[in-house]
Amino acid sequence: MNHPPSQQHPEILLEVRNVRKAFGRRQVLQDVSFQLSRGQIVGITGENGAGKTTLLRIIVGLLAPDGGTVRGGARTGYCPQELAVFETLTVRENFSFFAAAYGLDSKGLGKSWAEAMNELCRRFRFASYQDALVSTLSGGTKQKLNFSLSVLHDPGLLILDEPYSGFDWETYLQFWEYAAERKSQGLSVLVVSHFVYDRSKFDGILELREGYLRCA
Amino acid sequence: MRLKNVGTGWLMTMREMRRSRIALILFFVIPTVFYAVIFLITTHRPIAFALASVARETVVTVSQRNEALVFIGLAAGGVLTSFLALHLTQKHAEVNRRLILCGYRTTELLASKFLALLTMIALIGCYVGAITPLFFRPQRFVLVLLGFMMAGYVYGAYGLLVGAIFRRELEGILFIVLLANLDIGWLQNPIYYAEAQNKAIIRHLPAYFPSQLSMVSAFSDYSVLQPLLGSLAYGTALLAAALFLYSRRMRLWK
Repeated sequence: MNHPPSQQHPEILLEVRNVRKAFGRRQVLQDVSFQLSRGQIVGITGENGAGKTTLLRIIVGLLAPDGGTVRGGARTGYCPQELAVFETLTVRENFSFFAAAYGLDSKGLGKSWAEAMNELCRRFRFASYQDALVSTLSGGTKQKLNFSLSVLHDPGLLILDEPYSGFDWETYLQFWEYAAERKSQGLSVLVVSHFVYDRSKFDGILELREGYLRCA
Repeated sequence: MRLKNVGTGWLMTMREMRRSRIALILFFVIPTVFYAVIFLITTHRPIAFALASVARETVVTVSQRNEALVFIGLAAGGVLTSFLALHLTQKHAEVNRRLILCGYRTTELLASKFLALLTMIALIGCYVGAITPLFFRPQRFVLVLLGFMMAGYVYGAYGLLVGAIFRRELEGILFIVLLANLDIGWLQNPIYYAEAQNKAIIRHLPAYFPSQLSMVSAFSDYSVLQPLLGSLAYGTALLAAALFLYSRRMRLWK
């Protein structure tokens, strides 16, 4: 069966099956499998060097596995740990550039990307900086922009890399508020981090150890 | 390739460059300083050299200053665009990768950067063209200018290629300095070229065709079709290699 997961099981948005990866003789991922269903928030934890970043890079497409498959059934948003925004462009220009990447035309999702940008800027409280150069913003506001760019296209699956070290406290709280609201509309979230706060907010937490995923 | 995305990428790249004010000013100050230095240190002593790309052995005798001005115009155009191209491919590498993850195509990104580079080549070329008559009047001014722009095209493509190969700035800069100093900064000067023992090596370097285009146009009436076509072919080959390597470096596995 080669159908994408959304056709096999409409509720499964991400399916990782038997993924393996080695760097030289070092087998980082032995046999990693898991599924993420619609509306689920799942965390993947592990010690430094456990292979979390390798797994995440394979899931988003930055790195090819040695074996196994990754199938997605939803539009994906990816928020990297490090700031990945254009510092010498304004906030609005960054949104415009990423809107082009997502293929959002003026009426792409029933609302224009500018409307989506305004909504995100209001929600994360940086609307007054839309015409400011990113290089002039505080670290916290840059993080809000970094996150907002990953959800501009209203993804069904959101993947976050080490949000606890990337987000400041305000952004962290606002992220959970956003996640809780969108979860009820079917958003799935995968958080990859070396530790997890607020376990009650997760539907499941998996631990990556010695190349295998286990329930934590 | 989606032209709208190329246009958006070009617009954003140009806005970024416009905001790098000091760098932008230097792009215009450097050729002026080069010209001024040549003007101050050279004389009109006549020098003779052979035009390398003209079919039969043709020796021209020209003012040392005028020869040096053409040569330094080429060097300025080539070196500046090469560094600019390197900067465009290496800066924001992670953000560009994120754009590709979000749906941009590598060809669209590289095409937008190359368009921005061409825009800058045209702007620098026009500026150098505007100040050249202050120092001397070449025989075929427009073609000399075209030679400067071809130096920018070839070395801009080389800069993109170096940027596609090396991830770190220092290696990229050193690689550009290595070739640019040897080629456009030394060996293509007809004074050295004419006396060189192994001209075949010099003929295969990137600045050969653009420098011949400018030198032949500046000091004779001979056809420059061959150096023009050679410049276009050389630059396009480097550009194709840059695109191939950049696509490989930025590609996603799924």
